[in-house]
Amino acid sequence: MLVSWDWLTDYVKLGVTPAELAARLMMAGLNHDGTAQVGDDWAINLEVTSNRADCLGHIGIAREIAVLLGVELKLPAANPPAKGPPVSSLVSVRIDCPELCPRYTARVLRGVKVGPSPAWLVRRLATVCIGTISNVVDVTNYVLMECGQPLHAFDMAHVRERKIIVREAAAGEKFLAIDHKEYQLERGMCVIADAQRAVAIGGVMGGADSEVTAGTTEVLIESAAFNPMSIRNTARRLVLHSASSYRFERSPDPESVDWASRRACELILELCGGELAAGVVDVGTQPAARKPIKLRLAQIERILGIRIDAAEVRRILTALGNRELKFDAAAVEVTPPSWRRDLEREIDLVEEVARIYGYDKIPEDAQVPMAPSHRSNADRVVAKVRHVLTAAGFDEALTASVVDPATSEAMSPWTDAAPLVTQMPLLREATHLRRSLIPSLLVARRTNEHLAHPRIELFETARVYLPQPGQLPREENMVALCSGRDYLAVKGAIEALLSAINPGLTVDVVDRKESWLEPGRGATLLIDGEPIGLLGELSAAAKRQFQLRSPATIAELRLDPLVRLALLVPQYAPLSPYPAIERDLNFELAEAVRWSDLAATVRQAAGDNLEQFTYVETYRDKERLGADRKSLMLRLSLRRPDATLTSAEADAITKQVIDACATVHAARLRA
Amino acid sequence: MPLADFLSQLAELETAAREAFAAAADTHALEAARVEFLGAKGGRLKAAQKGLGTIPPADKPAAGQRFNAVKTQIDADFAAAKERLASAATTGQAADFDPTTPGTPLVLGHLHPITQTIEELKDIMGRLGFSATEGPEIEDEWHNFEALNIPASHPARDPLENFYLATAESVAGAGGTPGAPLLLRSQTSTVQIRVMENTRPPVRIVSLGRVYRPDTADATHYPMFHQIEGLLIDRRVTMADLKSVLRLFATSYLGRDVHIRFRPSFFPFTEPSVEVDMQWGEHWIEFGGAGMVDPNVLSAVGYNPDEVSGFAFGLGVERLCARRHHVTDIREFYKNDVRFLHQF
Repeated sequence: MLVSWDWLTDYVKLGVTPAELAARLMMAGLNHDGTAQVGDDWAINLEVTSNRADCLGHIGIAREIAVLLGVELKLPAANPPAKGPPVSSLVSVRIDCPELCPRYTARVLRGVKVGPSPAWLVRRLATVCIGTISNVVDVTNYVLMECGQPLHAFDMAHVRERKIIVREAAAGEKFLAIDHKEYQLERGMCVIADAQRAVAIGGVMGGADSEVTAGTTEVLIESAAFNPMSIRNTARRLVLHSASSYRFERSPDPESVDWASRRACELILELCGGELAAGVVDVGTQPAARKPIKLRLAQIERILGIRIDAAEVRRILTALGNRELKFDAAAVEVTPPSWRRDLEREIDLVEEVARIYGYDKIPEDAQVPMAPSHRSNADRVVAKVRHVLTAAGFDEALTASVVDPATSEAMSPWTDAAPLVTQMPLLREATHLRRSLIPSLLVARRTNEHLAHPRIELFETARVYLPQPGQLPREENMVALCSGRDYLAVKGAIEALLSAINPGLTVDVVDRKESWLEPGRGATLLIDGEPIGLLGELSAAAKRQFQLRSPATIAELRLDPLVRLALLVPQYAPLSPYPAIERDLNFELAEAVRWSDLAATVRQAAGDNLEQFTYVETYRDKERLGADRKSLMLRLSLRRPDATLTSAEADAITKQVIDACATVHAARLRA
Repeated sequence: MPLADFLSQLAELETAAREAFAAAADTHALEAARVEFLGAKGGRLKAAQKGLGTIPPADKPAAGQRFNAVKTQIDADFAAAKERLASAATTGQAADFDPTTPGTPLVLGHLHPITQTIEELKDIMGRLGFSATEGPEIEDEWHNFEALNIPASHPARDPLENFYLATAESVAGAGGTPGAPLLLRSQTSTVQIRVMENTRPPVRIVSLGRVYRPDTADATHYPMFHQIEGLLIDRRVTMADLKSVLRLFATSYLGRDVHIRFRPSFFPFTEPSVEVDMQWGEHWIEFGGAGMVDPNVLSAVGYNPDEVSGFAFGLGVERLCARRHHVTDIREFYKNDVRFLHQF
């Protein structure tokens, strides 16, 4: 809301500088967005919150100033002399849609001379960035900016049969507006029509062929109330946002409907001459009387934490235009002013008192009682995940939850259900709620590849959105990785991660075939049969799809099961004081034997004294080992809890392992 | 030779050798000294050893013992001198090691600055007794609007101001209307509603996470961002408590004594509502919005507004993070350029 300094002085005496005024208004709820000099005037830009429609006019701002500076407020009486015939003989008004337009008033002026506005009016409108058109139209804009009630002036010569009919628009009804663009109207929109056709979109914009022009001599001044929701929808559907629709969306003061009409007529008589028809055509419902509000004085201290003297409370409420009905030691009862639609409840009055009394008087050193806080297991687990992954050299990425269709379709490891879709794109073409984080990380990888970064190791923890019929979608927390390293490097990071969460977790790896995974290099990870993640090298096709140059390994883990499985309070296990013996075994065996199978055999054969068991390396050599053969080296670490393990005992265990591997896997010990 | 003469000869030899070795400035000089004293043929120690044969037999054990001690000492002095020169050579110009070579790389990943900011804010709020909570990002209108005292007529309800889901599936959420439309939440206050619906007061939480509002992405806007909101509900919670908690919060975050300023504002779910500024050096900077939880919100979750009161505050993480780290364009947060991530 642009406010003219000069204009304000019509209503209040400003004994302060524009900067001081802006500061006072800011601390009372009108945020200052800057002040600009326009000619001899100042244009003060104030941010008006959506509950304060009363401040969308200079009088409203002046009312606030009067309260804040403790000065008198002077308002124009707006009592124009009406020397013409009764207005009801000149125009009739009918409202067919009271739900869209509860009240419509009309006044008529005859013999007006349309011409340019005087300099003072041009200047004031210029300060608030409103261009001038003609004296009559400028007056309607002036009154709009004065009291916040939008008006419209019709050329009576173009109002057929001197009839105004307020009705709902017909579906598909066409309308040529004042901007000379044609609009297609819809049901639910309010139209101001004459006997034959629409002459305005109620509260939004007038029509081209009933506008006031140089030749106009008889003018109808419309001042009405419209349904805010309907105005908002209409303005949005037609993309026709105006100063008028902006105010009607926010419910202007119903009492200013008539005042604004009289004020406009007063100014037109003054500036354009002519004669005002007597009386007003006022159709529809008169504004309802405001309900009284009772403020229990104890509520002030209960909510604000400070005591405010009852006299001060009453002074503030009265200064703001509330009419005091009752007052006793416990409560004050007031009727709020018509222009404050936002005052309805006790708490609204508490806020008003606080706002004017000053929030600076509320202390900032109250003794707030201590309370314990609890860190959730999910939080602890995510912290571990971040800790391990950054230690493993992964950088944390943050990508958008909604992606474009191609990115969404690229892979969906967790559901076959179609993704949820937003009505409007979040970013360009991004309408699909993601079902996996991996595609987003691949896009981030591409961004970094384009910048020729040699090392792109990314992870993200975020949600995926999995549709479920008949219920809110399942939002699963995931951690995804995208690396330039190979399968085993990423698998190592995942194993370290899982071990940090719970060293006792056993992960089963099952082959996974996906078009986006390199054949034979993809796996599903399971814990106790429950899929908790996937891992694999990106297939050539997927690499092409994401326009990646270098190989990438991707992985995604479900965090929710890991939270359940996490060991957050590790338990002490007694340590053997005796030394361990290590034995390396180098088996030659068929390629088809998998590590996981061999490992199970070794564990079983070695028994309880196997403390640790590690993979060392795999060796392949067609010439020396033959095709489809490999050699696997592993290391046993043996220890007894109760005594020193002897060399002979170690040999015996090793022999059990060798024999078992020979029997089960036809593994031969290599020399 | 009498024992006394032999011993004094040895002492002289020991001193001379020590001085010669210590004076050797380079390996050549040291080698010359070595030959002089320890030379196998004409060395002075060797010569002294010959004197041992001329010692009276009774004194021989003492003389031999002393000779061995001196020999050990001269050997040690030589070894020390050699080591001294060797290490001098290494730190000097010997060519096979460059101590300025970078160490073996240890590549650490970096946490996203938004995560770091959230964790810090959560941590501070945790110390003030607020537990972190999360909730769904896809919400029904009850939790995103109605329970928060945002009636259908409020401009924030405009479908163009929200990301509604296209799927018009019938969903019966907890407390939600069956068949209600779903949307991406526009504020994390939804979490507060969900917590209050399931908890009796006192409630002391921070809710945080992603929120979504249609905004064209530019240097200061992004249609997805992170919010963190605090909520305290109890008997006798006042606006002074709000101001005091925010002051503790701001002081913890900025690391010095800061002050809090309230400017009146309007939010549907709080009344009174204020914009919060905190003092940053000479300036007041915008911190976020706050207020006393609106009685309608308390009633909506089944609390009695005459029994309990509470405050809520919320702030945008991106803006705070951008300001603190001087990030001039918040779109940088979502590009994930690793050079950007490595700055934090």
